[in-house]
Amino acid sequence: MRYDSARLTGLQDTPETTRRPHFDGPFFTLTLLLLVAGVVMVLSASYPRAWYDPGHVTGGNAAYYFVRQLVFALLGVAAMLFASRVPMAVYRRCAFAFLGFTLVLLMLVPVIGVKANGSRRWLGVGGLTLQPSELAKLAVILSFSALICRYRARMRTFRYGILPFAGILGAIIGLLVLEPHFSASIIILAIGAVMLFLGGVRLFWFVGAFGAAGTGIALLLTLFPYASSRINSWRDPFGDSSDQGYQIVQSLYTIGSGGLSGLGLGGSRQKFLYLPEEHNDFIFSVVCEELGFIGAALILCLFALLILRGYWIAMHCRDRFSFLVVGGVTSLLAIQVFLNVAVVTNLVPCTGISLPMFSYGGTALLIQLFELGIVLSASRDVPVH
Amino acid sequence: MAAQTQTPVLAGRQMLRRCAFLAAVFGMLSLAVLLARLYKLQITDHGFYEQLAISQQLREAPGTAARGVIYDRSGNLLAVSASVDNVYVSPAEIEANGEDRALIARELSGILGLDYQDIYEKTGRRGSWYVTVARKIESDKADAIRRFKAENKISGVRLETDTKRYYPNGRLACHLLGFVGTDNYGLEGIEARYDDALSGTAGRSLRATNAYGGEMLLRRYEEYRPGEDGCDLVTTIDASIQYYVEKHLRQAVLDYDALNGAGAIAMDVNTGAILAMASLGDYDPNDFLAVSPEAQAIIDSAATKEEAAALLRDAQARQWRNKALSDTYEPGSTFKIITLSMALEEGKVSPGDAFYCGGSTMVTGRGTPIRCWKSGGHGSQTLTQAVQHSCNVAFVNIGLRVGAERFYDYCEAFGFLKLSEDPDANLTARTGIDLSGESGSIWWSRNTFCSKKNLSQLAAASFGQTFTITPLQLITAVSACVNGGRLMEPYVVQRLLAPDGSVSFEHEPKLVRRVISESTSQKVRQILEQVVGDPTDGTGRNAAVPGYRIGGKTGTSEKVSLEARTGQKEYIVSFIGFAPADDPKIAVLVFLDTPSDKSGIYISGGQMAAPVVGRMMADILPYLGVEPEREDSAMTEMPACVGLDLPEASEKLKAAELRFRTRGEGSTVTAQLPAPGTSIAAGTEIILYFDAPVSPDLETLPDLTGMDLDQARDTLSYYGLYLTTMSSVTDPERQTVSSQSLPAGTELPHGTVVEVTLIDSGEELLGRY
Repeated sequence: MRYDSARLTGLQDTPETTRRPHFDGPFFTLTLLLLVAGVVMVLSASYPRAWYDPGHVTGGNAAYYFVRQLVFALLGVAAMLFASRVPMAVYRRCAFAFLGFTLVLLMLVPVIGVKANGSRRWLGVGGLTLQPSELAKLAVILSFSALICRYRARMRTFRYGILPFAGILGAIIGLLVLEPHFSASIIILAIGAVMLFLGGVRLFWFVGAFGAAGTGIALLLTLFPYASSRINSWRDPFGDSSDQGYQIVQSLYTIGSGGLSGLGLGGSRQKFLYLPEEHNDFIFSVVCEELGFIGAALILCLFALLILRGYWIAMHCRDRFSFLVVGGVTSLLAIQVFLNVAVVTNLVPCTGISLPMFSYGGTALLIQLFELGIVLSASRDVPVH
Repeated sequence: MAAQTQTPVLAGRQMLRRCAFLAAVFGMLSLAVLLARLYKLQITDHGFYEQLAISQQLREAPGTAARGVIYDRSGNLLAVSASVDNVYVSPAEIEANGEDRALIARELSGILGLDYQDIYEKTGRRGSWYVTVARKIESDKADAIRRFKAENKISGVRLETDTKRYYPNGRLACHLLGFVGTDNYGLEGIEARYDDALSGTAGRSLRATNAYGGEMLLRRYEEYRPGEDGCDLVTTIDASIQYYVEKHLRQAVLDYDALNGAGAIAMDVNTGAILAMASLGDYDPNDFLAVSPEAQAIIDSAATKEEAAALLRDAQARQWRNKALSDTYEPGSTFKIITLSMALEEGKVSPGDAFYCGGSTMVTGRGTPIRCWKSGGHGSQTLTQAVQHSCNVAFVNIGLRVGAERFYDYCEAFGFLKLSEDPDANLTARTGIDLSGESGSIWWSRNTFCSKKNLSQLAAASFGQTFTITPLQLITAVSACVNGGRLMEPYVVQRLLAPDGSVSFEHEPKLVRRVISESTSQKVRQILEQVVGDPTDGTGRNAAVPGYRIGGKTGTSEKVSLEARTGQKEYIVSFIGFAPADDPKIAVLVFLDTPSDKSGIYISGGQMAAPVVGRMMADILPYLGVEPEREDSAMTEMPACVGLDLPEASEKLKAAELRFRTRGEGSTVTAQLPAPGTSIAAGTEIILYFDAPVSPDLETLPDLTGMDLDQARDTLSYYGLYLTTMSSVTDPERQTVSSQSLPAGTELPHGTVVEVTLIDSGEELLGRY
C-alpha cells in the first residue's frame, strides 16, 4: 500500500479535466478472470438442474442457465466498458436523480412486484426481472459520495454528517422491509456505514450505530419469524437437516467433499439436485467441491487481489468523489464476497446473498459489472508516474 | 472555498487512513478468516462430510443370487427358482415426459389383470420415482409389457428382475419344504432352516443417483459387487415314498373323517434319515397363502372384515403347521415298545414270562384301579401275547418291575427328556432334527415320577399315558428299539452342493447314543412282528401285507385336555410299523387326529391306522426292492386267453384258480375281461368273449364296505368289475372291506379293477389299544 504522501494534499474536490487514455489494467484483468471463472462455474453447477428441470423452467435444456448468464456477462462487459468511459463528473451530477429513480422503483415493488418464496423483491420488465435493491446499493454509494463531498467540512457534525444520510438509509431500508428483504437491508446498511466511515464521520457515531444495529436485528428477528428460524438452523444445522437446516447441511457436504484438490471441474455430485440454489447463492460450494481447497483459495485470492486493487485505485484518485465511489464499490464487492462465502460455510446465518461474478442472475451481474466500470472510469484519473 | 483549503490535508489523511484500514480488513483479514474456515471444512473435516455426502448419493440395489435347488434323494426336483419380473411405475418420469397415464393404466391392467383405477392412481403419485404395480410376474406378461413400452416409447413403466420359487410337485412334501416369501426369505420347513445356504449372498449394485433417485448425468457411477449363488440341497426325502405316504394318508383322512387332520413319518431306521413326512391339512407352497375351499367358505361367511382376517390367519397357521413335528400327544400303546425294550434290556422280563390280566390292577398311590382296555381281562398270557394283546395290566406290571428310576433313565436315554442334574426340573427334549418348528416333549420331573408313595405316574407311563411327546420323537426312539439299539438323530438334508458342484456339506448319520443291545433289539423285533403277523392274537394284524414281514404296534390315545373342556371323547389313533421285521430298513408312523366312527369303523389304532400303514408298506416295500417272501394265495394273476379255444382257456384259468363265463358263439377267445397280467382275487368269475363285442356300457360301482372278500369279489364280477387287495388275507371269514379305492357310485367301464382294504373287525379287537 504504497502512496505518495506529497500527493495527499492534492486530493481534490473536482475531477481532473485531462483523463488518461487507459483504465487500470490489473483491475480489469482480475475482473475478467473472475467473470470467466464465474460463467464457467454457472455452466458446471447449473446443467443438472437445467436438465432435470424439476421446477419446469428450462424445458430440459442443460445449457439454459449458462447461455443466459453468458449473454448477460457479455452485455455486462459492454456495460463495464461503457461505464469506464463516462467521466466521474457525470456520475456525480446524476447521483441524486439516480437515487430518486431507485426510490421510485423500490416503492413500486410492493405494488407491482413479482412474488417468490413469500417475498416481493423483483420488478418484471418484459422477460427480465430486476431487483431494485441492487440499484439501491449503487444509489447509496453515489449519493453518499456526492453528499459527503458537499458537506465534507461539516461531516463531523450530526446535522450534516449523520442526519441526511440516515434519512436516505431510513427511506431505503423502510421500503426493503416492506418486501421484506433482510439480506439487502444488511448490505445497504453496511455500505452506508462504510461510506460514512470513509467520509470522515466521527467514530463515536459508529459505536452508537452498532448498538442501534444490534437492537434493530433483535427487533427484526422477533418481527419476522423466518429470520429467527434461520438463526436456529445456523447454530445447529444437523439438528434440523431435513427442513430448515437442509440447505446449509447440503452446502457443508458439498464443500467438505471437495477436500484438498476437489473432484475436478464438472465433477460435483452434490449439484445433482442435492444442493439447493447450487448455481445461485450456493455456487461457491460447488466451486469448493469441484476445485477443492486449492481452487477455492485461488478464487478467494483473486477476489482479494481485486479488492486490494480497488482500494489502491481509490487511494490514488485525484478527487474526493472518485475516492469515495471507488472505495464504496470495492467495499460493496468485499462485503458481498465475504458474506456469501461466510454463509455457505455456515460462519454466519443463512441468508440470500449472491456471489458477485459467479451467482446466476443476469441483471444483478449487469449492475455489478457496471459498478466495476465506474471504478475503471475513476482509474483513468489516476496520475501516471 | 475557505473550508476546503483549511482542512484538506487532515480530511484527506484521515480518509486515506480509513481506506487503508478497510483494505486491511476486507482485503486481507476477511480472506484469512474464510481460508481458515475452508481449511477446517475441506481438509480437517473432509472425511466426515465426504462420507455423509456419499452415503446420500449412492443407492444400493441388492442384486439377486440364484436360490439353490432342492432335490429329493434320487435327484428329483422338489423346489427350483426361476427369474421373474416386478413391475413398477415412475410417476415423476411419466409427468416429466408427458406420458399418457390413461394409456399406461389401461395397458397394464389388461396385461396384468389388475384394477384400472388402482394403477391409474399409482401413475399419478406426484414426486415419486418408484411405485410397485405387480410382483413376480411371469415372462409372457413381462414380454407384453416390454413390447408395449417399446411401441409407445414409454419410459415411466419399469421392470426389475426378481426370482420366484416353484414347487413342481405342488403339495408334495409341502411341510418339509416350506415356502419362500415375497422378499425371497425362506419362511417354513427346509426353506427356512437352510435359508442361509440356499439363498447364498446377493450381489449389490451401488449406483450414484441424483436427489430424486434418477441417474447422475455424465457422472455415471455404477459398481457391482458380485455375490455368490446359493447351494443346491439334496434331501433325504424320497419323492416316491412321500407320494405313497401322502396318497394313503389323504385317503385315510377321507375314509375316517379325521377332524383335525393326520400326520405320517417314514424314517430310515438305520440312519435317522427322513424318507417322507406328511401332515394334513396341507397347502400348495406355490400359493401358500391360499386356504382350502372349506376354510375359504367359512372365512367368506364371516360377519366382519376383522373376523375374516383372523379366520384367514388361523386357517393359514393350521395348514402350515407340520403336525408330525409340532404336535405333541400322548403316544398311548405305541409307547409299550419302549417299555418292552427297557424291561428286556434290564432283564426284568423274558419272552417266556407269564402275565395275568384280570381286567384291572391296583397301583400304590392311586385310588381307583387301572383298567385294561379289555374289560374282561386277557387272562394268562406270555410276554409276546401281552404285547400282541396290548394288555395294559401286563404293562403296568412290566413297568413296575423296571422301577421308576430306571424307567426314567431310559426315557432320558431314548430322547424323551433331556439329561439334567436338577431332579425337580420339568423336563423337555427335542430330537434336534434340522427343521424349524419342532416342539418339545412334556415330562414329569424325576422327583415326581420316582415318588415311592405314588406309582401312578410310572404305571400310566408304562402304557404311554400322562406325558406328551412328538410323533417324531416316538419314531426316532422306536427306530432305535428295532435297529439294534442305536438312537440316531433324525435329519432331512443329506448334502449341500456348492454352486461349482462340489459337496460343501455331507450329513453323516449321527449316533446320539446306544440305548439297548443288539440282542434285546432282536427280541423286540420278533415280538413286534407277532403283533402284525399273528392272525389270531395280533392286534396289529390289519397292517399285514402279503409276502412281507412287518412288525409294529397300535396306539389309541384319548385327548385328555380336550375331554376336560368339552366333555366329548376325542382320540388320536396311531400305528407304528417297520419292515422287514428281521432286518428293518424303514419305519412308518401314522396318526389320525380325531377320527369319526360314522364310517362304521371302530375308533382304534388297530382298526384305522394299522391298515393305512399296511397300504403304505405295500407300496413302499416293492419300491425299495424288498422281495416278498411268499406268494399270496388269495390273489392270482389273470392269464392271457385271447386266441385260445375254449378247452385251452379253461385249462389255463383253472390253473390260475379263476372261474369264467362266456359271451358269443365263436370258436376262439377274441377278448377277455380283465386284461392279462392283472392281479385279482382268486375264485373270481371272469368273462371270455367269443366273437362278441365287449359292452361299452358303464357300470355303477356299488358300496362294498362291510362285505367279506368273497361277497365283494362276486358282487363286482356280477357287474364285470374285478377286485384286488393289498391287504393280507389272513381270515376271510372275519375280514371285511373297510375302504375301496373308488367311491361307491362311480361310473366305471367293464373290466375295471377296484382295490379294497380288508380289515379284521373281530369282537376281541374292538377296544382302545
